[in-house]
Amino acid sequence: MNSTLGVASVKPAAVTRDRKRFSVVKTLVLILLSVLAVTQVYPLLWLLIYSLKNNEEILSGKFFALPASPQWKNFTDAIQAGHYFQYLKNSLFVTTVTMLGVLLLSSLAAFAISRFRWKYGQAVMVIFLIGMMIPMQATLLPLMIIFKNLSILNTHLSIILPYIAFQTPIAVFILSGFMRSIPNEIEESAVMDGASIMRIFRSIILPISIPPMMTVCILTFINIWNEYIMAATFISSERLKTLPFGVNSFVSQYSVNYGAIGAFLVLGALPVILIYFLLADKITKGMVAGAVKG
Amino acid sequence: MNVLRVSKWTIAAFVLPCLLLYVGLVFVPILVSLYSGLLDWNGIGESKFIGLQNFKTLLFDDPVFWPSVKRTLMFAVFSMAEIPIALFVAILLNRFIKRPNFLVSTYFLPVILSVVIVGQLWKTIYNPAAMGGMLNQVLDMLNLHSWTKSWLTDPKIAMYALYFVALWQYLGYHTLIQFTGIQNIPSDIYEAARIDGAEGLKADWHITFPMNIPIFKISIVLAFIGSLQAFDMIMVMTAGGPAHATDVISTHMYNMSFLSMKYGYGSAIAAFLVVLCLIATVIINLVFNRLEKKFT
Repeated sequence: MNSTLGVASVKPAAVTRDRKRFSVVKTLVLILLSVLAVTQVYPLLWLLIYSLKNNEEILSGKFFALPASPQWKNFTDAIQAGHYFQYLKNSLFVTTVTMLGVLLLSSLAAFAISRFRWKYGQAVMVIFLIGMMIPMQATLLPLMIIFKNLSILNTHLSIILPYIAFQTPIAVFILSGFMRSIPNEIEESAVMDGASIMRIFRSIILPISIPPMMTVCILTFINIWNEYIMAATFISSERLKTLPFGVNSFVSQYSVNYGAIGAFLVLGALPVILIYFLLADKITKGMVAGAVKG
Repeated sequence: MNVLRVSKWTIAAFVLPCLLLYVGLVFVPILVSLYSGLLDWNGIGESKFIGLQNFKTLLFDDPVFWPSVKRTLMFAVFSMAEIPIALFVAILLNRFIKRPNFLVSTYFLPVILSVVIVGQLWKTIYNPAAMGGMLNQVLDMLNLHSWTKSWLTDPKIAMYALYFVALWQYLGYHTLIQFTGIQNIPSDIYEAARIDGAEGLKADWHITFPMNIPIFKISIVLAFIGSLQAFDMIMVMTAGGPAHATDVISTHMYNMSFLSMKYGYGSAIAAFLVVLCLIATVIINLVFNRLEKKFT
């Protein structure tokens, strides 16, 4: 495929040979990329099939075979024994509150950093940036002691607060980057018309900033919905557990009923996969934006 | 230039809620952690100030510590080795596939799953064949009975089984990042190169690599810092066992603080981890600043 252009007009034979070589290469590439897709997706598919088998079928070694009759009982077992809907509700609550908190606090801070004329804007930004490098696990122990003293350990507040705190740096970074690009004239005319700061923020800046706020929402959703270790460290009551924590404790307790374990894992993955089907493009874009935090 | 002149109080009202929460729940704990590293404390009773004793024990007398540092760094090396593969896949996608979005989103699917789902799924796959583990069943089917192993309980293999899961989960992330980077390279550069006789791999060498350096940096930081912090997945799958064979820095810290109740000692490990992360970030930034200057 190196020389297609150079020889095209002179040697038709070489062109067809080149085309052939190109299509062979293309087929090989297609095979390679498909194999890769299968390795990325097959484990999940296997899990789905696994979750519909009974114990005998699972242990028989025919991992590829479909179940003789789908065992929906695994799912009802999992839902009944595992408080699935309770966990789901908790995850929804915690994630929603965290999202709202992150949006509110970080958009206020980002507005001040990017639009106010003051000396320490950059310094504050640097503080936020340093925080992105701090490993979350290193704060588990001190936070636990702090929360114990505030006696909010084992409440949803004890995970929502650090969740918001750990999501703000990237949110402030994304939002202030966007707000900096809004032309000054808009505010200037608003100030001349006598609009207050709060008014400018609410009626001008926020509506324009909806796209980056979507990105922040997506990042927060994926990170917080999936978060496990903080929930497992700060929460102990069954009725307060979030979905990942709940899934993990169910699976560790229920070690003999393989089908039900598989069913619970499928149920655990389901919400995020459904949302991914609906918003794949937005999610992938948002996650790339979130990766830029280096 | 920022235009809005506002009073100090207004600034405070906008910035402080966010900043205070953030400093209080991220910076203060880290400082507490650095200080607790100097204590002999079980978290409940009296604490005793013992200076650098914890760090001395950590660096010279802890048989688990250095192997866990080694595993953490190996984790980083494997994760970074994945980036060229991701770049290769991204180049192929960009050149040969007309509508690559579907494939890219497919590769990305594992990234959005919780570590709990991924960890437990692979734990099930790694199970012995008699417990329904797929990997061993596949090997049995291929008549490779001698290859079957208890993947997560054999100390020699368990760590590699974990590396693999992390690579599996994040391949899609790196592919997507590199793919986005390649798509942002203006196509007229490639056209100019083609007129000069550079196409295919040659064009990649002279255009894609240098133009993608900032994107490499993103991937490298993600892989490196992510590996230093590798934690939840290991906690879910092995919790550092069997016999510390899969302990990394952060699991060692967790086990020391929360299971052995050595709060002071655990904090010393946490401090080490924080410093390591900061140093790594600085080094990566320095290296890439050099690279970017050299190639652009």
